[in-house]
Amino acid sequence: MRNKDEILWKLEGLHTIETAMKTLSMKRQSTLNLLSKLKKEQYVTTSGGGKRKRLYKITMRKQRPRDPGMFDIINKYSPHMKLAEWYDHQVHGVYGPEEALIDAIETQSFRVILASLHLFRHIKDWKKLYKLANERDCWNKVGALYDVARLVLDKIQQKVLRPIKAGKVYLIKNYPTKEDFIRPIERKWNVAISFRRGDFDWGIHS
Amino acid sequence: MITYNDQQNLFHIISTNLKKNIRCFAFGGTAMIFYGYKDETKDVDFLFEHEEERAEFTRVLEKLGFRESSPFKVYIPEKLRDPHRPKMYSSETARFDLFVKKIFHTLLSPRMSEDVYAIHEFKDVHTLKVHVLRKEHLVILKSVTERERDFEDIRTIVEKEKNFDWQYLVDEVLWQYQNGDTWVLLDTIKMLHELRKYVFVEQKYLKQLTDKLSTKPKAATRKNR
Repeated sequence: MRNKDEILWKLEGLHTIETAMKTLSMKRQSTLNLLSKLKKEQYVTTSGGGKRKRLYKITMRKQRPRDPGMFDIINKYSPHMKLAEWYDHQVHGVYGPEEALIDAIETQSFRVILASLHLFRHIKDWKKLYKLANERDCWNKVGALYDVARLVLDKIQQKVLRPIKAGKVYLIKNYPTKEDFIRPIERKWNVAISFRRGDFDWGIHS
Repeated sequence: MITYNDQQNLFHIISTNLKKNIRCFAFGGTAMIFYGYKDETKDVDFLFEHEEERAEFTRVLEKLGFRESSPFKVYIPEKLRDPHRPKMYSSETARFDLFVKKIFHTLLSPRMSEDVYAIHEFKDVHTLKVHVLRKEHLVILKSVTERERDFEDIRTIVEKEKNFDWQYLVDEVLWQYQNGDTWVLLDTIKMLHELRKYVFVEQKYLKQLTDKLSTKPKAATRKNR
């Protein structure tokens, strides 16, 4: 094998076998052997195959095995809106929609919170959600989001959630809405909600 | 030496023994392993925001058989006089360098704490939340710690990164200087001079730092040190 760093430097990025062959000026079998070796050393991951074209993702750094984090869970359950993660979040331990929803609220990011509405379709353990939200002092935000999700999405389990007595809070700091259709939810939970009707173009059914 | 798998297992064991949630910032070899720059490291470098968090962490380390060790063979004497030198804990296989609030004179800046490369949560009853600093911060901190192999690590990072943001690094160094850390400027300039023997670094970045040397830092007060 030629100097490994030199090869990786040339190849870094997304390749098919043909583009890799061309970049390295090597024959097909030699390129496949090389990519296979690099894959064993964790510099290459593959996707596709079968009917689709096989793609090789090649990096100068080793690609470590991942455990799913907040972005993975939200992207898994949000069919219309996918998030581009701006940091790599991984949780080594139990992590599901309940934990991801609370983490999403804590990011204070508009897109993350909007995409996380879909998680309500997959909440199984409501007691756990209540406990986690209480620990982080955000139960009213969870409740308000649940009501918004019920308003704009289908197939959400019906639950009777009650607010905790607390002062007014913002779902996203200093970012209220002027939309009337959300006002009753705001009043019930004492939470200023940051969404407008246009934000739910993908899902609103009311 | 600790490998990636050792590190994951060790952090998981630590998290199972914690009595409260802990947040810390990883830099040095640990962060490089998370990034995938290298496979093993001699030591685990953590920065804590609060002394209580470090105390809880060291309690667990002692429970796991780690003993406090002397930093004298690891850091140069000039660094050892600093009140923010690390507490070190060692076993036969691993060593922890544990800092609180500052890494010598270098503060945990708002950018360092908010703009991280990764967050790894090791969950059990309580959580060990490890924030992995950005590569530019790793280079700055490796310039500051000046241990054996630190320069080699800097070279590894810079040589493997096509998109290394030198302006980001310069801005962070200048922020640290403005907030009372005079060492970081000198250490980074020294590192950049050495690094330019191996990799191309535009002169304009070095110039921004050397120009700053002639001005006194605004907030260099006793309190900050």
